[in-house]
Amino acid sequence: MAPEVSRRSFLKLAAATGAAAAVPGCKPAARHLIPYVIPDENVIPGVPSFYATACNECPAGCGVVARVREGRVIKLEGNPVDPIGAGALCARGQSALQGLYNPDRLQRPHRRGADHLINPVQWDDAMAQLGKALGAAGPNQVAFIGPPMGPAYEEIVARWMGAVNSRMRMVYAPIDSARERNLIRYCFGQDLTPLYRIDRARTLLSLGADFLETWYSPVELARQYAEFRIPSTKDGEVRFGTAYYVGTRMSMTAARCDQWLACRPQHEAAVALAMLRVMLDHNLVRPPQGIDPGAVKKFAAAYDPHAIADQSGVSAGMIERMAREFAQAQGALALAGTDDDAAHAAAWMLNAVTGNIGRTVTFAPSAQPPAAAEPGAVIEAMHQGNIKVAVIAHANPVFSMPLQARFAEALGKVPLVVWCGGVPDETAQYAHLLLPINHWLEDWGDGAPRPGISTLRQPTMSRVVYSRPLGDILLESARGAARDRAPEFEDTQSAVRQVWAHRFKNQPGSESFDDFWDRSLRQGGDFRQVNAAAAALRPEVFAKPIELPEAADRPDLTLAAYPHIYLYDGSGADKPWLQEIPEPVSQIVWDAWADIHTGTAQRLGIKENDIVRLAAPGGAIELPAHISDFVHPEVIAVPIGQGHTSYGRYAKLRGANPWLILPPGRMTVAIKAAATRRSRELVSPLYSSSMLARPIVETMSIAEFTQGSKPPPWEEPYPEPYETYPPVEYPVHEWGMTIDLNACTGCGACIAACYAENNVPFVGKEEVRRGHLMSWIRLERYIPATADAPPLLTMPMLCQHCSHAPCEPVCPVFAAVHSNEGLNLQVYNRCIGTRYCENNCPYKVRRFNWFKPQWPEPLNLQLNPDVTVRGAGVMEKCTFCVQRIVAAEVQAKLEDRKVRDGDIVPACAQACPSRAITFGDMKDKHSAMMQRRTEHHHRAYKALDEPLNTLPAITYLRQVYRPREEV
Amino acid sequence: MKYGAVAVAVLILIGGVTTALLSQRPWLPRSDVVQPVPFSHRIHAGINRIPCQYCHEYARRSENSGVPPIQRCVGCHSSMAEQVALQAVRKPWIDRRQAAFEIRWNRVYTLPDFVRFYHSPHIKAGLACQRCHGPVETMDRVTPVFEINMGFCLNCHTQRHVSIECSTCHY
Repeated sequence: MAPEVSRRSFLKLAAATGAAAAVPGCKPAARHLIPYVIPDENVIPGVPSFYATACNECPAGCGVVARVREGRVIKLEGNPVDPIGAGALCARGQSALQGLYNPDRLQRPHRRGADHLINPVQWDDAMAQLGKALGAAGPNQVAFIGPPMGPAYEEIVARWMGAVNSRMRMVYAPIDSARERNLIRYCFGQDLTPLYRIDRARTLLSLGADFLETWYSPVELARQYAEFRIPSTKDGEVRFGTAYYVGTRMSMTAARCDQWLACRPQHEAAVALAMLRVMLDHNLVRPPQGIDPGAVKKFAAAYDPHAIADQSGVSAGMIERMAREFAQAQGALALAGTDDDAAHAAAWMLNAVTGNIGRTVTFAPSAQPPAAAEPGAVIEAMHQGNIKVAVIAHANPVFSMPLQARFAEALGKVPLVVWCGGVPDETAQYAHLLLPINHWLEDWGDGAPRPGISTLRQPTMSRVVYSRPLGDILLESARGAARDRAPEFEDTQSAVRQVWAHRFKNQPGSESFDDFWDRSLRQGGDFRQVNAAAAALRPEVFAKPIELPEAADRPDLTLAAYPHIYLYDGSGADKPWLQEIPEPVSQIVWDAWADIHTGTAQRLGIKENDIVRLAAPGGAIELPAHISDFVHPEVIAVPIGQGHTSYGRYAKLRGANPWLILPPGRMTVAIKAAATRRSRELVSPLYSSSMLARPIVETMSIAEFTQGSKPPPWEEPYPEPYETYPPVEYPVHEWGMTIDLNACTGCGACIAACYAENNVPFVGKEEVRRGHLMSWIRLERYIPATADAPPLLTMPMLCQHCSHAPCEPVCPVFAAVHSNEGLNLQVYNRCIGTRYCENNCPYKVRRFNWFKPQWPEPLNLQLNPDVTVRGAGVMEKCTFCVQRIVAAEVQAKLEDRKVRDGDIVPACAQACPSRAITFGDMKDKHSAMMQRRTEHHHRAYKALDEPLNTLPAITYLRQVYRPREEV
Repeated sequence: MKYGAVAVAVLILIGGVTTALLSQRPWLPRSDVVQPVPFSHRIHAGINRIPCQYCHEYARRSENSGVPPIQRCVGCHSSMAEQVALQAVRKPWIDRRQAAFEIRWNRVYTLPDFVRFYHSPHIKAGLACQRCHGPVETMDRVTPVFEINMGFCLNCHTQRHVSIECSTCHY
């Protein structure tokens, strides 16, 4: 007889046995304890150490504090002492960790054999080969190609160049401030470094300058911009900066301005000059002292606003309105970021005639730039076969130089090309000797991002691969080449110290050098105030008219390339976080695209995702089309950064590289666009560009703000009181967050910080397409349908830690539970992966691990040991960085005190350049977070709370905007 | 059909139980651990009354209690008479031509990855190490006395009115 087994008992049986089978499957924990032989007295296992250093991901040079656990850097944060970053760090800076731990970093020196394949060699062999070649080279037969590397490294390079008797130092960075420097010299007659103060301005005009993304110093300018844009009422007067963006595409920066004025390429200068004419015509300004008013009038007479309005596409009314506001504002600032000299000159004229030099922008005398040869001369010498050895470090000119410059071809004529870097890139493909060099987090160095600020770099951990510091390579090879002329520096560390000692001698003070050195190392550099230099516009600037583009030469279509906010000049493409964080405006991940205007796309017969061929005189690139109204109809905008043919698994064969077809030194080129028959799907995690009439991102116009009126309540408010469960009690703390949407720029620094802090896995393009993006914090992006709204709505969306959390009652195993400190907890070991919570979450902030997360070695060394790595089948979400809360509570306990306001800073709030996010205890009315809510109480709202009664712990401060007007 | 279902269920049951019996549940303290060096807590902490935190020096400052560095061992043993053991550790220490002896201790106490534990607040609260680790000073070879599981933690936390929120240990 068969035993009766009902379906129910079978299921019971199966569940029990399944559990028994699953339990031993857990991976055993580490089985060994290996103690130090001799302990480092400054290292306590389990307690992080912090090292101050300086970011090297872009020329802004923000100070960085590296958090080190058990000898590994696990997190980078801004250095609060540093005047540039002031404690914040952008997404690119955060992601430097993935450059350090990149799985594709060259592990040891390699030499290219006769078969063109590279084979590992010993360091000694590689150095001997380099030394021998350098010794054999005659005068001026050795070239060094690299970006400006800071005073100490430049001293090493200069002495190395001396030892090998060559002057062929080519200073090369694809994105540099050469145009800005030249125009300042032209306008003011001296070498000056500008110090912008957006926070002192009331009106801002950007001529294509993406100052919140990649231009000049984005972290610093974002901080200033937040101050400029947070509306305040003082003595009955409402202060709320006005910002205009004149440019060919709506960048993230343009989206944060009051109005993006679509402008024909190369016509930004014309708009600014027409503004100058309006100011003079209406006697709104007086030309600065020492300049003949007649000459200025005569100069400006050529720029008729109506004619320029026809040509540029910016209406005459708008030009006049901007001119009036700019001239009458108590502090105004014009910034130019285009590849057009005229725009820069026009911006300086506007700043000067309105008397803003010394107010919203000051100058400091520039430091001497490193001695360098003309880039053209070096490339020509390479072509002629006059260069026998070329050393290329920290640069990828084969990728970032236009094909027209024929750099790769020139490199082919050099008998020994030595590439020094991390992940082998396109330039490494042309190298005979590939030398892995220490990442900036493993190396000594310094930087002088601007007068008065000297940053000092120190190794934050021992090396990850079998690399050497670039300085050591240069110094040793110089000794190998020329024993008599070799530099006396022993190694990089002593070189940096000696350069600093030399500079210290010239500074007055009672401090000893050792004290100064220790202090500089501890705080990440030496920061001093410098006196502003006097600067006056040269009268000659107005003597010659600025030529504007002729209507007849106007191309049908112009390609406008712009540095991708995360990938920058292409150097960010090897870092998976930067690939996976959606670009703020398009929200596209892991790809490059061509921004095409809706009308242009129709005319060309192109649909979204169709691959278009963009043909310029220098070559052609092919990219999928992304169709929007965020670009001028005569412009196709393409982000720079993708299109690598090498550079590691994350960068390789993605998108296309616009550098190749741009003329040297330009970011725009006339193109012909044609549809191909192919298409490739552009992937974004975006569900909808519309809020579908739900109150998610709330805004209020400046008029409503001035009147102090609150927006009307949601049409169907929840009946009050509506409580199914007794209210939750919070005996000690109730953690909460305030996010100011007027400060938030949408830059994504918070997302990168969250990836780093919380071991959030990256999943790749295909999984993002399937909706499996794992980021715990995302930037909602909505496109308002009316002009009575900001141009683009963005909002950081993370777990709201609701008091009435919809996720909690639906969890069958109590994995989603509420803590008595107001946290909405996710208990990973309880979670069985029903995903009910995700379905019931109105904010869609819960993430499910569909797969076991992967961090190819050694990327796993970055993982935060204080946060559990979640396995497959587990739900996860923002925890308000509970590990930091617990750490602060433990610390307070050890010190016999209560947790103080400011002890706990979640990773997102820490990183935020514009300080939009504040965290604190809602029970403490004096906490900075609650102060912010009180101060801005008429802007405060809780997302979706009115219709859903979720009682979130996050309060957003409404974004105040000026209605966009067509004048 | 029914026979098939029963057969499958029985097979799964047998498989699961066998695996469970044969494997060691990885988060439980282990009583069968043999160390590479025959170190005796009884001699050190019991007879010689060396305080626990002389060797486990990070316990009051960190989440980890710390395992003493070789330097700490040699600090005492190098000044002691020759008959005292530890030649394997001392020899390389004195003779610098040999590579330093690296001890790979086998863990007795482990916690699963999803449990976070700080030693420091427990020391601060005045708990004796023995409260969780048992009378280690009487043991030649450390064997666990208590099964350190969630119930064990919660009992004490409840008695002492310490937080039993999930986020105290799980995040």
